[in-house]
Amino acid sequence: MRMKSAKWWTYHILVGGFSVLMLYPVVWLLMSSFKESHTIFTTAKSLIPHPWIWTNFTDGWKGIGGNSFGLFIKNTAVLVILTMIGQIISCSLIAFGFARLEFKGKAIWFGIMMVTLMLPNEVVMVPQYIIFSKLGWLNSMKPLVVPAYFGHPFFIFLLVQFIRTIPRELDEAATIDGCNTFNIFYRIILPLIKPALATTAIFSFYWTWDNLLGPVLYLNSPAKYTVSMALNMFLSTETVSNWGAMFAMSIVTLIPVFVIFFIFQRYVVEGISTSGLKG
Amino acid sequence: MKKFIVSLLSLLLVFSLAACSGSNSTSSTASDSGKSKSASKNDPVTLRFAWWGNQPRHDYTLKIIDLYEKEHPNVKIEPEYASWDDYWKKLAPEAAANQLPDIVQMDLSYITQYSNNNQLADLKPFLGKEINTSDLSQDFIDGGKLGDKYYGLTGGVNALSYQYDPALLKKIGMDKVPDTWTLDDYKDMAKKASAAGLYLEDGPGTAPDVFFNYYLRAQGKRLYSKDGTTLGFKDDKLFEDFFKMYANLVKEKAIPTPDVKAQVKGLEDDPVVKQQSIGIIQWSNQLAPIQQAANRPLEIVGLPGPNSDKGLFIKPGMFWSITNNSKNKTEAAKFIDFLTNNVEANKLMLGERGVPGSPVVQKALEPLLTPVQKQLFNYVAWAGEHSSPFNGPDPIGAGEVITLLTNLADQMAYGDLKPEDAAKQFRQQADSILAKNKK
Amino acid sequence: MSTPIVNENVQQRTSITSESIRKRRVLKENLTGYAFISPFVIGFLAFTLIPIITSLYLSFTNYNLFSSPQWIGLQNYIKMFTQDPRYWKSLKVTLIYVFAGVPLRLAFALLVAMLLNTASKAVGLYRSLFYLPSLIGGSVAVSIMWRNIFGDQGIINILFHFLGIPVVRWFGNPTAALWMLIFLSVWQFGSSMLIFLAGLKGIPKSYYEAASMDGANRWRQFTKITLPMLSPVILFNTVMQTIGAFMTFVPAFIISKGTGGPMDGTLLYSLYLFTQGFSFFNMGYASAMAWIMLIIVGILTAIIFATSKFWVHYESEGGR
Repeated sequence: MRMKSAKWWTYHILVGGFSVLMLYPVVWLLMSSFKESHTIFTTAKSLIPHPWIWTNFTDGWKGIGGNSFGLFIKNTAVLVILTMIGQIISCSLIAFGFARLEFKGKAIWFGIMMVTLMLPNEVVMVPQYIIFSKLGWLNSMKPLVVPAYFGHPFFIFLLVQFIRTIPRELDEAATIDGCNTFNIFYRIILPLIKPALATTAIFSFYWTWDNLLGPVLYLNSPAKYTVSMALNMFLSTETVSNWGAMFAMSIVTLIPVFVIFFIFQRYVVEGISTSGLKG
Repeated sequence: MKKFIVSLLSLLLVFSLAACSGSNSTSSTASDSGKSKSASKNDPVTLRFAWWGNQPRHDYTLKIIDLYEKEHPNVKIEPEYASWDDYWKKLAPEAAANQLPDIVQMDLSYITQYSNNNQLADLKPFLGKEINTSDLSQDFIDGGKLGDKYYGLTGGVNALSYQYDPALLKKIGMDKVPDTWTLDDYKDMAKKASAAGLYLEDGPGTAPDVFFNYYLRAQGKRLYSKDGTTLGFKDDKLFEDFFKMYANLVKEKAIPTPDVKAQVKGLEDDPVVKQQSIGIIQWSNQLAPIQQAANRPLEIVGLPGPNSDKGLFIKPGMFWSITNNSKNKTEAAKFIDFLTNNVEANKLMLGERGVPGSPVVQKALEPLLTPVQKQLFNYVAWAGEHSSPFNGPDPIGAGEVITLLTNLADQMAYGDLKPEDAAKQFRQQADSILAKNKK
Repeated sequence: MSTPIVNENVQQRTSITSESIRKRRVLKENLTGYAFISPFVIGFLAFTLIPIITSLYLSFTNYNLFSSPQWIGLQNYIKMFTQDPRYWKSLKVTLIYVFAGVPLRLAFALLVAMLLNTASKAVGLYRSLFYLPSLIGGSVAVSIMWRNIFGDQGIINILFHFLGIPVVRWFGNPTAALWMLIFLSVWQFGSSMLIFLAGLKGIPKSYYEAASMDGANRWRQFTKITLPMLSPVILFNTVMQTIGAFMTFVPAFIISKGTGGPMDGTLLYSLYLFTQGFSFFNMGYASAMAWIMLIIVGILTAIIFATSKFWVHYESEGGR
């Protein structure tokens, strides 16, 4: 029986302790959802709820205006899955183009891509809204989903950086074996950037899940609202906000995000058994 | 390879064609919206109706919509509701794209902007016809008057008030605050409160213009000039006197420093609710929520004089407006009439949006009111008899002026800025903000 | 003799053919390249180009969202730099936020990523725990909770009291309030950490083994293997975090209740832009602000990219 070394203990105490500290706010959030709404801030110091209630969850689930929270989650899930698929497909294609291929004007287009990242959303929001309005896409998910199929600079840049870490010898070997460009993309590069793709999936998922401004602008019917909008409706500037329900539903909506993260993070860190290929 | 490129490109081409054709099939508004159609009773009509609020308001408003749809089977009302922040974020681009809902709940702080730019329709043609005004006072109707047009019908009225906890008041040796109290009384009470370890009032927070405006009105002046291009008072001494008083009260610990107010997350956190402050100056319709949060009886009284009658005014809490790009203005007007005059609808609303304007409606609601709501209705009725006409909506740029004033007030509260200097800064910057309104 | 002429002709024809072959190859490469990036190109042309140009145009007008914009030339820009002290304040606040927050965030992210780059089973759990703050992200609930923690009786002050450090009035002091925001950003280092982890996993163990055998100690291994191999990812994170920091909006909005207070201490650039555009309806001015931000961020990014030549190492391009 091996004794756990001092190193093991130090490591776990350090890392574990740090993570506990980091998570205090999250734990606070969780515990608050079991407290009675009007006591949440007055009993902020003590973590344990007295009394422990579940009604925040049942109340919150009832949703707003007759639309159950389940409906909002469903809306958000559809939006997120469609977006995620679009981002992964389009961004990997585009990143491959930038990272591996030579073509006239490449630097210009790369520059344009980076520039679009730097323009604050608030300002393109109104002209974009008018464009979508003329397309007749208002009050639908289309303005939120369709652009995802045309790439997002953040993910493109991320994937470009990852692709550039893959040695070109692999490409060359594949060409000699008779692969065309698309095959190189599909057979060689794509599998090797699985960690980055998984990262893209995770980020895309939770950005879209959290996204507030997009749904606020483009979804008018409350039955189409997403989780982020619904959560805001528990709050009120004029009267008492329903903190309990809001925190409870925030926790509930966190669960899918966490689950997706769990599924994909394995790929992020275990995807590289190709160190054999590189070594 | 070639096959791949060709197929990819053609796929993308098809996609973009599909996207473009979408623009031809669905047309947005655009064409003239000036004429109001007189629809025959049986033409199906869809109205988009937008409001801000929180859960309870959404719930009962949906019930009101159901009621209307039952009585008017050819009308379908599509509700669009959101929280305050989200609501205005949404409305602005809608306005820019001429896609506003038919009926919008409108607020004093935005009505000038929206009406100046022709987003809202003039209600005059409907007043007295689709909108029954026989029970409404001219004052009430004028609430939404800008220039010589009517851009909104008041949804409910409010008045300024001092709301306090009588149990805490006892601690400074008073049973109740008389409605003839003066600013000297106020300062006196402040000293006593501070000695007892209590605040007298919560502090202005992000709306220092409210109490200041009242103060100016009591002196016969106004915060903004009538045409909205400059400040409405010439004497800086008014500014200095008022804010010297404020800064002193903060120093005496009768009013909390601004950071205390900034940390207040919600009503449960309010100093009055936590029994740290005796009272708070705020709008009358905030009595019910704070009383609910405090869970004990609170009292409501007018603001300190002298000349409190000149200072007080009845303020429209919110408006119902019809947007110019609406294609069904007449139907929209009918719905607004329903919201204002229909007794059953108001029984569902119960004054949550402000005290209703029609005395007929008020009377009908009486048996249904909770004691707090009765307190509120009574107060507003009293205020109605002890006030002078409302100055009208704030001019464009008021938002910036208020932010400026908040900044200055905070600095004066911390003792970082002297009221004399603040007065000069305020005038100079406020005037330059408001000067943009010069035509 | 005909042979030399024939030879010459053959040579000419061959050189012509090889020229056209080359041209055709270049054309094919261009087409392939564009085929791959075509989604971006199309999306850009359809959804982004016009709004960008429009916003540039609007910055030279007095557009207030409702009526037709009127050209006012450079007035917005002049006003920004000469007549608007709040503008300078927001710039200063944002620069502090970026230059303090981004390095701190990246340092934590890298440190923790390296700590978690072991094969231990608990690592999966820790990884998720550290990532959790990022996951709950920019939501309203988090910002509200953060305000509570830094309140006068919040847990942070309780901790300070416990440790004998004087209590800080986070909401009363503009600098303290800004640090509240910075801490929130650093607390959410999980996303950068994840990217670093992905990058770390891509460094072949064999490199480290070879280096150990050569007698290199841990520090040398770090500087000579880890950092260079990680440098493309470091570049990515640095650029993205910087851009992201400049655009931070929701936390500042919620924590200051939309005011940027106290006394503009948390008036991040995006918040001020939003206020100008949507609260005061000075959309023309807001557009001008946006373009200046773009220029500033663009210059910063360009500098980072330019210097990257000296410290970023791409394995696929044979390294430095």
